Amino acid sequence: MESGLSSLLSVSIDFETSHLFFPHIIHWVLGVLFALVLVFNVVPFLAAVRRGERSLPILGESMDKFRFFGTLVLIVAYFQTMSMVGNFFPYTGYGFLFVSMVFLFLMSLMYMHTRTRRKVLTAAINALVAPTLAWFILARLFQITLP
Amino acid sequence: MLDILSLLDITFFLLAALGALVGIIFGAIPGMTATMAVAVCLPLTYALGLNHGLALLLGLYVGGISGGMVPAVLLNIPGTPSSITTTFDGFPMAQKGEGERALRVCVVASVIGGLISAIVLFLFAPLLAEFSIKFSYVEKFLIILLALTVIASMSRNMLVGIFSGVIGIWLSLIGTYSISDGGNGKTRLMFDFLEPYLFEGFSLLPVLIGIFGIATILLEAEEGIKSGLASQNIKFGKGGGFSFGIFRGRLTNLVRSSFIGTFVGMLPGVGGSAASVLAYTQEKNLSRDSSEMGKGAPQGLMASESANNALTGGALIPLLSLGIPGDSTTAVLIGAFTLQGIQVGPLFIPENADTWYVMMTALVFANIVMFFLMFYAIKHIAKVVLVPKYILYPIIVMMCVVGAYAINYGIMFDVWTLLIFGVLGYLIQKVGLEVAPLIIGFILGGQAEVYFVKSLESAGSYGIFFTKSPIALVLWGLIAASVIFSVVMGLKSQAKRQVEAS
Repeated sequence: MESGLSSLLSVSIDFETSHLFFPHIIHWVLGVLFALVLVFNVVPFLAAVRRGERSLPILGESMDKFRFFGTLVLIVAYFQTMSMVGNFFPYTGYGFLFVSMVFLFLMSLMYMHTRTRRKVLTAAINALVAPTLAWFILARLFQITLP
Repeated sequence: MLDILSLLDITFFLLAALGALVGIIFGAIPGMTATMAVAVCLPLTYALGLNHGLALLLGLYVGGISGGMVPAVLLNIPGTPSSITTTFDGFPMAQKGEGERALRVCVVASVIGGLISAIVLFLFAPLLAEFSIKFSYVEKFLIILLALTVIASMSRNMLVGIFSGVIGIWLSLIGTYSISDGGNGKTRLMFDFLEPYLFEGFSLLPVLIGIFGIATILLEAEEGIKSGLASQNIKFGKGGGFSFGIFRGRLTNLVRSSFIGTFVGMLPGVGGSAASVLAYTQEKNLSRDSSEMGKGAPQGLMASESANNALTGGALIPLLSLGIPGDSTTAVLIGAFTLQGIQVGPLFIPENADTWYVMMTALVFANIVMFFLMFYAIKHIAKVVLVPKYILYPIIVMMCVVGAYAINYGIMFDVWTLLIFGVLGYLIQKVGLEVAPLIIGFILGGQAEVYFVKSLESAGSYGIFFTKSPIALVLWGLIAASVIFSVVMGLKSQAKRQVEAS
């Protein structure tokens, strides 16, 4: 009995494939946990959705589609153009500086609910000042690499 | 002792004060937390030396936790999750025109909580480190397992908590099995074309900044970036009305709540709200005159705020002595430390005695600065709750980018990591998974693998995890206890719900 138990527990790890040993276990654990979550949480939840007691996350909720997807699009565009512009002026941080100004202004405009002259002006000043300040302190004073 | 004094210059104290101020501002803005303050301000520390960086970070941490009281009292919105119980008594007081008085009570309670927990940290962390220094890989693995179980058992749903934690571990395994850790240097869990980007896996800080910065922005954007705050009137009340006499006979409450906060802070991954809720209910149960609590009693504020500031010292205990972060803010701190070349763990305090004293100085000083800033300038600071979000959020995205890009000296993939984990963090929170266990799993996953595989390679049997030492058995006992605790609590609340339903 004793030897049976110890042989059951014994394990040898081949160095060549040792990088897969732990991930393999984690996959199994994940799989089992996912099944349990499915049975105990997801199925009852879906049943509640069908009865109309709960609503599906994201799909079944009301959301501000314009601002949500607008944020995503703006961020992607921001990251992409930043590195493109940054390649024109390597090691200066100008890519960050100029693209940030545009990004800050557009994002501010998008998040405003009412656009008065005063608010737009505040946003414009902020869009000019904040990136300049960040760029000056970080890239110039602290010599930190920026795109 | 003298050489430590030479490490503390004017800049050190200025940075700690600046950190506290910025932290308070972040904490005071609803929806922004201490974690975000630390994450967003990280790029500032890149260029600072170790000691100066620590001063700034600890200032941010203390300030961020404290700032949450401002909107809690004035607007009935907890600025950080841990100030939830501050709203119970703070807002009624503000309604009665005692806003400033309430805030000052909070400030005094906060500084007491912060300082008591700093003392506990100072005395206890070296002891724990000394004890854990003898741990072999087996015990270290079990400690991580225990940490993850405790986090999971404190989650709303234990199963979901564990599941989130394991997802975190899985994410951390992407990349190579590092040769420097005794691995074979091969990559796994990715497609070949990603190898140039993901050879070393996802960088910790972009992941954290994405989850705490970008995801928060996305969640707010989905709600439509409400701008309703300005329309609400803020009731400060007239100055005065505050005297330290309020605290007469409240010492037990303050000390008890501080210790509760410190202890809860020590438990890994347990959010601040648990600490203040526990302290608040204890005061309610144990105090002789608790009938006024919830209607505007200063004693409720004292319990809540001293507990939530005591978290700071408590959460640093496992971080510095075991290398396990006590909450999400310290999880970001761990990344910042790594950046400064500090490896936190059992050897940290004995090998870096100077840094340890410097940290304690920064922590205590940050608490004192927080006190003076908030006690005397609270009226002005409180106005930041009115800064419009359309100004604030774009700046935060910008700072997130700087933080992610600069971390490895200019890698654009780190910026994309920010977005990936921003979206992931958003989805996680939407489908009901838990962020805290996932983050802790992500941070500890790599180490867990090394400890686990190396233990098995040397022993050749899974039995080693039980037979290695008495400590291993004790750790197993604790793991079992936290699982049982969680299951029992789960059943209890289920039974209660059924009673209510019937």
